[in-house]
Amino acid sequence: MMDTYLFFGMILFYLIGAGLALILNRNDRICTYASFLSASLASVSGIIFSGSILLGNNFSFILSGSPILNFGFFVDKLSAFFIFAISITAFAVSIYSTGYVREYFGKKNIGYLCLLYNIFILSMILVVSANNAVMFLIVWELMSVISYFLVVFEHEKPQTLKAGFIYIVMTHIGTGFIILSFLIMAGSGGSFSFETLRSTAMTMPPYLKDLAFLFALIGFGTKAGIVPLHIWLPYAHPAAPSNVSALMSGVMIKTAIYMLIRVSFDFLGGGVWWWGMLLLIVASVSALIGVMYALMEHDMKRLLAFHSVENIGIILIGVGVAMIFMSSGHPDLAAFGLIAALYHTINHAVFKSLLFMGAGSVIYTTHTKNIEEYGGLIKRMPWTAFFFLIGAISISALPPFNGFVSEWLTLQAQLLSINLTDNIIKIAVLFSGAGLALTGALAAACFVKAFGISFLALPRSTHAEHAKEVPVPMLVGMAILSLMCIVLGVLPFYVVRIIDSVSAPLVGTSISSKISFDLTIGTLSSFPASISTTWIALLVFVVLPLPVIIYMLMSRTKTVKYETWGCGQPVSTARNEYTATAFSKPIRMWLGGIFRPHREIQTAYSDSPFFKDRVIFESEIEPVFERYLYRPVTWVVLTVSRLMRVIQTGYIQTYLLYILITLVIALIFVGSGG
Amino acid sequence: MSEIILGSKMVQLIIALILVSTFLILGSTRLYSCVRAFGIQSFLLACVAGIVAYSTGKNDIYIVAVLTLVIKAAVIPYIFIYIIREIKVKREIELYVNVSPSLIIGGVLVVISYYLIRSISIISELSSFALSASMSLVSIGLFVMISRKKAIMQMLGILIMENGLFLGAISLTYGMPLLVELGIFFDVLIGVLIMGILIFRINKTFETIDTDMLKTLIG
Repeated sequence: MMDTYLFFGMILFYLIGAGLALILNRNDRICTYASFLSASLASVSGIIFSGSILLGNNFSFILSGSPILNFGFFVDKLSAFFIFAISITAFAVSIYSTGYVREYFGKKNIGYLCLLYNIFILSMILVVSANNAVMFLIVWELMSVISYFLVVFEHEKPQTLKAGFIYIVMTHIGTGFIILSFLIMAGSGGSFSFETLRSTAMTMPPYLKDLAFLFALIGFGTKAGIVPLHIWLPYAHPAAPSNVSALMSGVMIKTAIYMLIRVSFDFLGGGVWWWGMLLLIVASVSALIGVMYALMEHDMKRLLAFHSVENIGIILIGVGVAMIFMSSGHPDLAAFGLIAALYHTINHAVFKSLLFMGAGSVIYTTHTKNIEEYGGLIKRMPWTAFFFLIGAISISALPPFNGFVSEWLTLQAQLLSINLTDNIIKIAVLFSGAGLALTGALAAACFVKAFGISFLALPRSTHAEHAKEVPVPMLVGMAILSLMCIVLGVLPFYVVRIIDSVSAPLVGTSISSKISFDLTIGTLSSFPASISTTWIALLVFVVLPLPVIIYMLMSRTKTVKYETWGCGQPVSTARNEYTATAFSKPIRMWLGGIFRPHREIQTAYSDSPFFKDRVIFESEIEPVFERYLYRPVTWVVLTVSRLMRVIQTGYIQTYLLYILITLVIALIFVGSGG
Repeated sequence: MSEIILGSKMVQLIIALILVSTFLILGSTRLYSCVRAFGIQSFLLACVAGIVAYSTGKNDIYIVAVLTLVIKAAVIPYIFIYIIREIKVKREIELYVNVSPSLIIGGVLVVISYYLIRSISIISELSSFALSASMSLVSIGLFVMISRKKAIMQMLGILIMENGLFLGAISLTYGMPLLVELGIFFDVLIGVLIMGILIFRINKTFETIDTDMLKTLIG
């Protein structure tokens, strides 16, 4: 009963938030506070609701009882887990937004933004709690369309419209495949209800199962952003307002992960080994490609968007490994892989939203997304820098923060493949483990760049010089998620136990008793690896600083501030600083075969060829996927449409003639007993 | 009972007259006479509804008959005449298909309709007569839309189709539930108003309501 109140209370609060945004549209300030307050109240009830489901029983509510279309909500532990991830992120982002949207006061329609924002979160909640494929598709489409409107919120910029177009085209291609997948699954069971699918999809002929899985992978993969379907992310995330990109990148793409897990484990029962293998390959490639392109990116939000591709890859590595274990008869190892994937899901939701909020704060005060124009921000906005640093350490998978825990679990799951009998699969999974390790290293390099170039050294532009610390609500929003990063990182054992109860119904076995306190699963394999982030946290934050503190208290040496020694050269201007382009140069050279860098140097002379007036240096990497994959496809589509245009004459009468001819032929066909 | 009503020579005669009025529209080249023929057609349709109401004793069909009379036989023709007068359109219809071929094609469409309806064996001989007429009206309405240039004639064509559907409904089921009928009438009226406004806009943009000009709109 309590759950019902909480669930509908949550929905009601989001709707109230949307309604208030419409009513109070006249006054930007009041509208902002009322609407985002309502959203944060809704997310608090979402947190409590999902918590009570995670620790208690499933929740189900039927709206209409028709046998074919029984619209309603069904929240099991898996759904509750995603509702929790959405709600905790939405809570922090809503608080953050009350400060962030001040940027738009007087310039844009605030009520419109708040309305879309509330409905967007509500649609994500409904996506993970739908109990029926038709209802799911409706709310899924609602989520896609609302997020499209949010992406094109700053529609006066031409590149925003382009981003929105790419997003909406890609997302609809994805939805098309999702519909196909559901039609295949529902076709054999005769009902769109998830409950029926759960029992009938398993009994489908194998080739139909394969098709259903492949279509689901393409459909949900488009939304999640797996390579090569990822091209919309680096356009759409930077174009949206930062609070929205925090939600889109943090949680919206996770709804695709949710459905992928639900379809492949809940409906199709884990499938055959090559499904997992396919997923593993795609995921490893996504992780590597994502982080490699992120390294080359100097637009802060595009960089983070590419990291979303990377992290979706890491999550799906866990899922793929779990599918391989499941099909080869190791449900307990499958549970381990799934726990790793789900753990990384919530971790990524937390730290990616945090990083997007951090990026949003920097953009809020500097009005530029270009990393090369930042610099020295740590002195001007110390709190933002601190929170961004926590996010950066988390995403770089350094202990004791949360990113490390889940990547470590994923890596362990991959190493556990030594328990498999098939050598080919074994080697392939181990190779993907090497890929994951490389990904982690490159991610760390990327965030050294992102943090170092943006926040350290001297300001590189007047934008950065005049930067100020952002308003308090924005800091509070970031602080909440920073705290979550630490909690999820330092207390992994308790989190793993909860996630185990999520994965247990999907793989059919619970392994919480087998996982030791330092997060290894001891009974099956005997590799002596154990890292406990709790102890590391104690070590790093308590034991190591102790001597330093004692030393500082005891000694009486004075600190003298002086310029950095520059080999005798008088260097102290920002022009001499290391740039982001320079920082990523070694990796650009190392992976030149993939990036295909292209550079152009133009020199303009003033009067004589001995005096250079200015040198223009341009460097870019080749957009491989767009050029070699998408361009041919669009060419074919456009050519076919051009040929089809012959029938578009412009005469109404001709169109009507088409109708008449069709009608007469259809009638004659029917009339002649066809 | 259906045998009695639709079999009665009266109804057969009226349905035949409806077909004749449709051919009047096909055969005339002047806008006013087309609108007049449509008015006559709607009036005859109201008569059919009235007879059906009288012989079945259902009171709500009387309402339908009256509504047909008011909206289709009076208000809509009036709107047409108003539009024609306001935009000072040339009174002559321009055709893609000339009058005599139009009449021949109309005849062929009627024959096809009768042939098609005959092959549906469930219906009795007599109500099939009305249904074939309704079928002919629908196809001739579509043909009018195809073969005439002026946007007003497209509007008229769609109304002829609507009349055909009405005839089919009343001959098969003695009228749909009143609520549905009311909805349809409302729909037709609003449709005509919107199409009228559209014709005004087309006239304003292209200085003509000749649909030839619309072909410049293709992308």
